[in-house]
Amino acid sequence: MSGIHLFVPMLHRRDAVGEHTRALRDGLVADGIECRIYIEMPDPDTVDETYPYRDYESDARPGDVLVYQMATRSDMAAWLAARPEPVVVNYHSITPAAYFVPWNNWIARHQVAAAQDLAVLAPTAALGIGVSEFDAEELRHAGCPDVAVVPVANVRLPPPPPDPEALAALERQPGGPNWLSVGRLAPNKGHEDTIAALFVARTSSTPDARLTIVGSPTEPAYARALHRFVAELGLTGAVTFVSRLTDAELSARYAAADVLVMLSAHEGFGVPLLEAMSHGVPVVAYAAGAVADIVDGAGVLLDDRGPRRVAAEVEALLGDEDRRTALVEAGRARPAALGLDRAASDLVAALRGVAERSGRPPVTMSAAPAPGAPLRP
Amino acid sequence: MAVDHAADDPDGPGGPAGSDVSDARAGLAPDERALLEAFDRLRPQGTVRWNFDDAVRRLTEPPDEPGRSSPWTGLPADLWERGRSTKASERVLGDVVKVVSQDLTEYTDRAIEESRGLIDRSVDELRRATLDAVRFLSARVDRLEAAADPFGIEAGELELPLVDASAWSGPVAAWAAARGDLPAVIGELGTPGLVTAVSAAGVAVDAVDPRGEVVWAKVSSLPAGADVGSADVTVTMAEVVDHLRGLATDSRGSVVLSGCVDRAGLAAKVELVDEATRVVAAGGAVVLLVSDQAAWDAGLDPVVRDLLPGRPLHPEAWRLVLTHRGVPGSEWHQAPSGTVHAVVAEVGR
Repeated sequence: MSGIHLFVPMLHRRDAVGEHTRALRDGLVADGIECRIYIEMPDPDTVDETYPYRDYESDARPGDVLVYQMATRSDMAAWLAARPEPVVVNYHSITPAAYFVPWNNWIARHQVAAAQDLAVLAPTAALGIGVSEFDAEELRHAGCPDVAVVPVANVRLPPPPPDPEALAALERQPGGPNWLSVGRLAPNKGHEDTIAALFVARTSSTPDARLTIVGSPTEPAYARALHRFVAELGLTGAVTFVSRLTDAELSARYAAADVLVMLSAHEGFGVPLLEAMSHGVPVVAYAAGAVADIVDGAGVLLDDRGPRRVAAEVEALLGDEDRRTALVEAGRARPAALGLDRAASDLVAALRGVAERSGRPPVTMSAAPAPGAPLRP
Repeated sequence: MAVDHAADDPDGPGGPAGSDVSDARAGLAPDERALLEAFDRLRPQGTVRWNFDDAVRRLTEPPDEPGRSSPWTGLPADLWERGRSTKASERVLGDVVKVVSQDLTEYTDRAIEESRGLIDRSVDELRRATLDAVRFLSARVDRLEAAADPFGIEAGELELPLVDASAWSGPVAAWAAARGDLPAVIGELGTPGLVTAVSAAGVAVDAVDPRGEVVWAKVSSLPAGADVGSADVTVTMAEVVDHLRGLATDSRGSVVLSGCVDRAGLAAKVELVDEATRVVAAGGAVVLLVSDQAAWDAGLDPVVRDLLPGRPLHPEAWRLVLTHRGVPGSEWHQAPSGTVHAVVAEVGR
């Protein structure tokens, strides 16, 4: 029985690419299509849901379509490029190596190799799917002959309710306003610019302003530097770093926030922007990568990340009730306008189209397991 | 839909470092640039593994301890003998001292101001010179690294056969049990047997291997009772020496090394031994499962063999290395079957 199978270097929980892959798997299975997730390296949290990619060589069936979730380098890329089955590149943006050069040479080399992977895979792909127009443009630039845009499938709509205990604890904290920044502690995320802007805001207009940075320390040297920067600026009590939150705890952070500040220098999509909008939190963001398309008038877009400018824009937004209300209302409409509510079904339809064009559409299973059910007993 | 590539790296993914920070900050006021440059100084200088950021901070920041000089407490009371003219002398002396002290105060203030300027200039020059020296050293280290290992081949990139140490499962479990109150590090994983044997002996296992597929195979093959990720058995994907560097001194009951000890260069072999003996507590064992040289030469793909930085040492050579690194009295156990020898050293403190 042929199927549409997903390939991802590692399948993580609470990770944008990992959750997108799991949501797509659930969508395919719910649609009656056989689907397995093949990986290069196992994650103990998801080991029961995955198979080593080399196992596919014995699992392969005529009519299969292979979907590669691409965001980093992997041996799977060259292996997939050599496979006879149609390969779809579901592209989540490769962070340019330049951002990692001052911090971690190994990751920088890794990102260069990822770009080389893309150059190998893109020209032979049956379809390239960018999660934003920004990513789609990179696919075209890499030589992908057929490119579509379908957003990520893992943004929960409506957002999960906030954890009541966590929210109560946050609301008991004195001071404010509360700035929120959500994103891995990686150099392209520009958290140092947000911290510097908070410093300017506290020393000029809002001495009690606080910042919470939600994100796992992907690059330890950068994370250490952020902590030291906070200490050197005397912001130890004003900046909080948290990670590994549950969905409900993250919702509590959004519910307690007055503004989301996102100053990423490279952003292929920007899930936190849409999470903030769906929680009714106004957004101030630097217009890098896909951010301008995602925000599209429903937030404050900046063309520079100077700390004085960012602090002034945040202060102006928080001081203008009418403008804030208008932006929040516009933000609530953005997830639907971007098609997030139908992203999984759009992806499934796009992949079905590839299977049908290949001449051997996937065989639909008679009894589809429930979405989310583990495929391995 | 507009695509804002201009705000991003113009060279695209993986391109050269075209997103120059100074360009991005061209429009900022001097105080804003100074604020962000305070963050730039926290970046590692050179490669991250050398922790140059820490080194630079230690070199350029003043120590936390307060100054050693004590404030002047004045003239001792018995400096002059006191006689009949004491009062008159005191009056005259008082006037003179008053004038002199005013001059002295003025002079001292100027001297302090001059000294401060001089110190600031000196410190600036010293800091610049130190940073230049560190950058120079960093570049030198990078060049030396490139010269020592021009390909930078990682173990995970090579098609290396797994070391078959299954004949040693029983003895390794017994050696690990000598300090079974602490976990045993097993690196690398090799063919099945070592992890399960040591775990079955009641010793917690901290297993490590740089190859994802090997880690996968190990995780998949462990018996149902072995709780991967718990204190009983943890399996980590990493270079063994990197993993050992992250462990606390005296925190492990034993370290069992195979594979990495064969293919590493001599300097890396010595570092493995140093790290292993550091993390093993007194009374624990360092066990090296080393391939027979003849079997290694015969069994390895010639391209892989030629590109690897090292080849197996003879067990007697390993004993000499261990003695040289402060672990005397090691024993060579010849392979009962197969082509793997064991060199075992008990760590004393």
